[in-house]
Amino acid sequence: MDSALIPEGVKRCPLPVFILAVLAVGAVLLWGVYAMFLCWIKGLNQTNMNDYYGFALWIWADLAVIALGGGAFFSGLLKYLVGKDELKNIINFAVVIGFICYSSALLILAIDIGQPLRGWFIFWHANVHSMLTEVAFCLSCYFAVLTIEFVPLILEQRQLNKVSFFHHLSHNMHEIMAVFAATGAFLSFFHQGSLGGVAGVLYGRPFGFRESLLVWPSTFFLFTWSAAACGPCFTILVTKITEKISGKKLVGDKAINTLAKISGWMILTYIIAKIIDTIYWAQVTAPAGGFALGEFYSNNAFYGYPILIAEIVVGGVVPALILINGKLRSNSKWLVLAAVLACVGISINRWVMVLQVMAVPVMPFDNWVLYIPSWQEVATTILPVAYGVLLIMVAHRYLPIFPQEKELNTFTR
Amino acid sequence: MKIDRRSFLALVAGGAVGTALTPLPLKLTDDLSIWTQSFRYMPNEVPVPPDGAVSTAESVCTLCPGGCGISVRKIDNRAVKIEGQEGHPVNHGGICTLGLAGLQLLYGPWRIKKPLKKENGTFKAVSWDQALTDIAGKLNDLRNNDKAATVAGIAGNGNNTTGRLLQRFLTAFGSPNYVTLPSSDDAMALAAGKMLGKSGIPAYDFENSTYVLSFSAGVLDGWGSPVRMFQANSSWKDNGAKLVQVDARLSNTAAKADTWVPIKPGTEAVLALGLANIIIRDGMQAAAIETNSPSFGAFRKLLNEKYSPKDVANATGVDVPKLEKLARAFAKASRPVAICGNGSAQDPVSSLDAMAVLSLNALAGSINRSGGIRLAAAPDYINWPAPELDAVAEKSLDTPRLDGAGTAEYRDAASLPHRLIQKVNSKAQSPVQALFVCDANPVFTLRDSQNVKTAFEKIPLVVSLSAYMDDTAAQADYILPLHSYLERYEDFPTTAGLAKPMVGLARPVIKPVFDTKHPGDVLIALANALGGAVAGAFPWGTYKDCLKETLADNWGTISSKGYLAQSTLATAAEAMAPAGQMDFSALVKLAEAKPQVPELTLIPYDCMRISGGSIGTPPFVIKTVADTVLKKANKKTDVFIEINEVTAKKFKVKDGQSVILETPVGKAQVKINQTEGIANDVIAMPRGLGHAAFDDYLADKGVNINTLVAPVEDPVSGFDVAWGIKAQLTKA
Amino acid sequence: MNQNHSKKFGMVIDLDKCTGCGSCMVACMSENNVPFKVDESNKLDSITWMRVYKLTNGKPFPDAEICYLPRPCMQCEGEHGHSPCVSVCPAVATDYDHTTGIVSQIPTRCFGCRYCMAACPYHARYFNWWDPVWPEGMKKSLSPNVSPRMRGVVEKCTFCFHRYQSAMERAYVENRDTLEEEEYQTACTQACPAGAIIFGDLNNEDHAVTKIAQPDHHHGGRPKNPQVFRLLERLGTNPKVYYKSSKEWVRRKGDNYVAGEGKPGKH
Ligand SMILES: Nc1nc2c(c(=O)[nH]1)N[C@H]1C(S)=C(S)[C@@H](COP(=O)(O)OP(=O)(O)OC[C@H]3O[C@@H](n4cnc5c(=O)[nH]c(N)nc54)[C@H](O)[C@@H]3O)O[C@H]1N2
Ligand SMILES: Nc1nc2c(c(=O)[nH]1)N[C@H]1C(S)=C(S)[C@@H](COP(=O)(O)OP(=O)(O)OC[C@H]3O[C@@H](n4cnc5c(=O)[nH]c(N)nc54)[C@H](O)[C@@H]3O)O[C@H]1N2
Ligand code: SF4
Ligand code: SF4
Ligand code: SF4
Ligand code: SF4
Ligand code: SF4
Repeated sequence: MDSALIPEGVKRCPLPVFILAVLAVGAVLLWGVYAMFLCWIKGLNQTNMNDYYGFALWIWADLAVIALGGGAFFSGLLKYLVGKDELKNIINFAVVIGFICYSSALLILAIDIGQPLRGWFIFWHANVHSMLTEVAFCLSCYFAVLTIEFVPLILEQRQLNKVSFFHHLSHNMHEIMAVFAATGAFLSFFHQGSLGGVAGVLYGRPFGFRESLLVWPSTFFLFTWSAAACGPCFTILVTKITEKISGKKLVGDKAINTLAKISGWMILTYIIAKIIDTIYWAQVTAPAGGFALGEFYSNNAFYGYPILIAEIVVGGVVPALILINGKLRSNSKWLVLAAVLACVGISINRWVMVLQVMAVPVMPFDNWVLYIPSWQEVATTILPVAYGVLLIMVAHRYLPIFPQEKELNTFTR
Repeated sequence: MKIDRRSFLALVAGGAVGTALTPLPLKLTDDLSIWTQSFRYMPNEVPVPPDGAVSTAESVCTLCPGGCGISVRKIDNRAVKIEGQEGHPVNHGGICTLGLAGLQLLYGPWRIKKPLKKENGTFKAVSWDQALTDIAGKLNDLRNNDKAATVAGIAGNGNNTTGRLLQRFLTAFGSPNYVTLPSSDDAMALAAGKMLGKSGIPAYDFENSTYVLSFSAGVLDGWGSPVRMFQANSSWKDNGAKLVQVDARLSNTAAKADTWVPIKPGTEAVLALGLANIIIRDGMQAAAIETNSPSFGAFRKLLNEKYSPKDVANATGVDVPKLEKLARAFAKASRPVAICGNGSAQDPVSSLDAMAVLSLNALAGSINRSGGIRLAAAPDYINWPAPELDAVAEKSLDTPRLDGAGTAEYRDAASLPHRLIQKVNSKAQSPVQALFVCDANPVFTLRDSQNVKTAFEKIPLVVSLSAYMDDTAAQADYILPLHSYLERYEDFPTTAGLAKPMVGLARPVIKPVFDTKHPGDVLIALANALGGAVAGAFPWGTYKDCLKETLADNWGTISSKGYLAQSTLATAAEAMAPAGQMDFSALVKLAEAKPQVPELTLIPYDCMRISGGSIGTPPFVIKTVADTVLKKANKKTDVFIEINEVTAKKFKVKDGQSVILETPVGKAQVKINQTEGIANDVIAMPRGLGHAAFDDYLADKGVNINTLVAPVEDPVSGFDVAWGIKAQLTKA
Repeated sequence: MNQNHSKKFGMVIDLDKCTGCGSCMVACMSENNVPFKVDESNKLDSITWMRVYKLTNGKPFPDAEICYLPRPCMQCEGEHGHSPCVSVCPAVATDYDHTTGIVSQIPTRCFGCRYCMAACPYHARYFNWWDPVWPEGMKKSLSPNVSPRMRGVVEKCTFCFHRYQSAMERAYVENRDTLEEEEYQTACTQACPAGAIIFGDLNNEDHAVTKIAQPDHHHGGRPKNPQVFRLLERLGTNPKVYYKSSKEWVRRKGDNYVAGEGKPGKH
């Protein structure tokens, strides 16, 4: 029925099936939207955040989603600036995923603040010393860049592309995409970094605090690096999931393999830096404030040493080793495993840098506090996931996201 | 001019660019910023407190016996902040939690706004005329049926003009049953009377003490005049005076004391007598003590036989070396003083405690000495001519008091409220047919609350004169709403252990907020409604006339200064037998039998963050209560009891666990706060929680410990002197 | 601005005298129109600009000891006014005033991101999770000197800055540009029945705070009096609230030490 809208030469599932799937995901989305409005109308008392956990599930989701969305800027950087041309086959999808991640992040921020109507004060009364100001500016600008990168994809939609103006516009935009990719990479470097800085500058919170290189705490660089390293894994992972669900191959092995290889080396270098940083922090920075490493991971099963091992070894060293091994990464199962572990690893890192920073008592007579999110928080955190799935479903169905799809799948009509 | 598409676009674009270059966008954004800042009309609009003329009004806080001077900041006719009055002789500008939160009592929803009458279990607003006519009618019926003596009245302030007007009303009406709530002062005065020949109010010269030995007295937990005690304690820290706290619990007092002496609760007197024994044994007593008198001989003999250091150590849990050290330190200090009165000492202490502590003070030479204890005359300024009685009253006043106070059994007691309750409950038909309660909350403060409630239910007419919907008002048939303490004049005799007792004067700080009256004016109106001799006993037009007339020449001073210093100390001391000639015989008789301590004892504790008495704890104050004392979980706000690890192990209960606490009179579900600041086999529970009335901010939080403790009658005074009670702990 | 005239208001709290009574907490609530809820037993969501902590020495009965520690906002100076919280607030809704040393809080500017709360190791900042609601009639007790805060913003102790403003106004009317020590005192200081809180200008050698704390202005205001300490001195927050205690265990509770580290305060 909607065949006229579907890209030429590819096959899509019947419309009723598609609509059913949209309805299913839409229901989850509505649940999230309901929770979101509860938070706006009734206030943040709908969450289980408190004066100890001023940052909680959402902020973690925000950081995680931005880190995972890092595939967009890094693939762009690799393709347009480094010249890895084979990545053209995955760059569109990376942009879509990036767009989803960043729009979600902005939405979460709008829900998270106590006075949403004043959200723009961050620009109007900006404090140049604040990492959050840096985040807000770079995030918004980069989102604008992503939107610009996304527009040509939309314009290439089969019917829209028939309009000559759109056709030329999209063509011309593609031509100058390198400029945007460069801008995006530049902005991303800063906002990924400043997100790392958010916890790193908290000199009153020894768990988060890191000493500075140049003007930024070490977490600034670690965050940028880890996003560049693991973001592509997320792109690969979502691609694999999309392929699985649609039952077709969408991106050629070469593009995937290139991305995986680069990602592997990035993760490896990142994790070495992370280990050095952790040792320096544990041996020098924290003890200067009177803290022994053990105090950060004690008293609380939830925040024990396993979380450190899970982050660094399971979610860092292991995927790095798998991905730098040509044989293993060519094996789809190993590849997916490594991608999953890398995504989990970076998510744990962001979790720890938000939640554990809040949880560790600083005053010697203060207590560890546990926090369990309310359903409203869970729903609003799932909201972006549902939104992302929906956007991918629609984009995949109607937009020529995957240039190789036709050649990789020979259809019998 | 023709406007084509191109020029139109150019115009729009040019306009946009032009506007963007003007300050207009900046200005608009700034305006928007301001608008968002003051964005109102939200479902719950944030109030903007109106400004107005600023003024200050001074008065006296009457929320506890402390009698602090307060200074209230006002905006027009709104009171916005209570502060301690600088230069006031009681508190020198300091103030406590409750005093600070007084405005929440004044403006809170717990205020009673107009007279109420209970109909079918619910309150209905009635006019003052209606309420007073109804009540007068019922009283006249009783009077005409020879039942004038079945009317009783309980006064929260027994010694000031308000209380005395209630007494006068009852007398003129024909009832002897004017009941006041006995205090620690009463018990001490009685003990002093027995030992020194003339009773007197204890007045402590703490500011000059060098060593304070406190037997479970909550010096920093509301004892005496609380702010004054805090200031005294700080002066001890500055001048090196020592505070030794004997206490079963690491109370705030014990925590700030130089030494904490943990003890089995209820054995304070044993410890005091043990110390007395050591002092006498080693001849450390003051030179003035006449050691040849027969009563001293008997005392020494008793101590020798029954209060040897070893026995005392066994009974109290304080080991012998510590006893020896303590006795020596106390006796050798230059100006020591020993004090008693459990916790905030709102209730009378036992005669044994009082006498044992008085004997220690005598041995140390600390009676009528600088830094010690003096016995002062109670402020005595109410000298009204006796009311003229009619025949009904004459006859009816011959009936004995229902509470038995002043009878052969308890000759020295003025009032025994717990006995009044027992009397009501002991008969099928209540011997009290009408009860007035004025500025008191006996349903909450008397022990064995369930019993008190039963008695109140049995009394056909309960009239509560109260400013707040407290636990007692909620039980009443009529509530006559009173001005709060910030809206009325009231004389406030302040003893509370002050070195110099005084009379304070509360003055209205603001105009009454609601349709309320002064209790004195209520009684005058009621007397007038009754007519005849009762009306004749109240010759004053208003309460204020009465007050002015009562204070006579002193009115000028007291109404401008806010207090009247008493200079009665010397005369009271002179009238007393010299401390050296103390008569120990009453003490010897009491001390023959040592107090028995149950295996597991529940004791109440007082602290400054919970108001333990008739007044509820206002929201600001309850906010300061720790979550290890009170915590809401599963829609229920539980109180935590304190026990230590040894006791917890013994009863197989764990920190945070829900348990059933059971005593011979009641049981309650509570939670465990395991702490190391308490002696073995002792359970401590805060006093002042578990109000049933007031409102959401206070009601249904924790448990009223008075529901778990039964009255214990003192053999000498007859007062209810219960402190601890035997208890059981089981898992919930 | 003349540096010689700039003030540095601070506090010394004498923990030997503090009895944990809570008057400072209530005085603060009443002075600053702090909202209250029906249930305040969840201390993770209970606004107390001043909070009195209970410290224990950790020993079993009968050697257990307790000390109370009142905690207002420490008015941290950090390095050159980069307080932990001020430096992170993206909207300058909280700022370091170099003329008084007070860390301000502008609730109408705050948009509720709570980054400052994450930054403050003393938990001196409180978020308005709920709309402030006063029961019927109680709005009458609100003071016009301090605006009540709306839902969704952060609030904290301001050293009763409005009292400073009105003292300055009075001084101005009387043609003075300086204040006497007693002219500007905070509500908690004034109320404390034990006289445990001492408040004044740490830059003025005649003020009691300076005499007791003996701040070493060349070393970030570190106290020279061996009985005086600051909370979390080692983190470099540079607070202006000092504590005095004669007890070693109490002073040691004021900071963190890695096992085996020596005496507190000297490093
Ligand atoms: N008796 C008398 N009354 C007068 C006057 C007089 O001469 N005599 N003058 C009148 C005149 S001309 C004026 S302009 C007014 C001034 O009166 P107000 O408008 O009350 O001005 P300020 O006293 O400066 O108080 C402004 C407050 O806003 C805070 N603030 C700072 N930045 C911001 C922000 O970005 N947003 C928000 N919401 N708050 C912020 C500051 O901390 C400060 O507490 O007084 C008027 N009233
Ligand atoms: N330190 C400090 N400085 C401030 C401010 C502050 O808050 N603190 N606020 C600032 C602000 S917002 C403002 S608006 C300005 C206000 O500053 P000014 O404009 O100086 O205002 P006023 O102090 O009210 O003085 C006005 C003068 O006009 C006189 N006057 C009154 N009526 C008349 C009249 O009909 N005709 C004439 N010719 N004179 C008249 C008065 O007697 C007075 O001398 O101050 C600014 N400066
Ligand atoms: S100590 Fe008593 S009299 Fe003084 S302010 Fe507190 S409640 Fe009022
Ligand atoms: S008011 Fe004073 S004594 Fe009471 S808790 Fe506060 S600082 Fe301590
Ligand atoms: S105590 Fe906390 S809120 Fe106050 S200045 Fe320091 S960091 Fe900021
Ligand atoms: S919550 Fe308010 S004061 Fe705190 S950092 Fe955010 S905007 Fe600033
Ligand atoms: S200084 Fe003022 S604002 Fe700060 S805690 Fe004390 S009373 Fe509250």
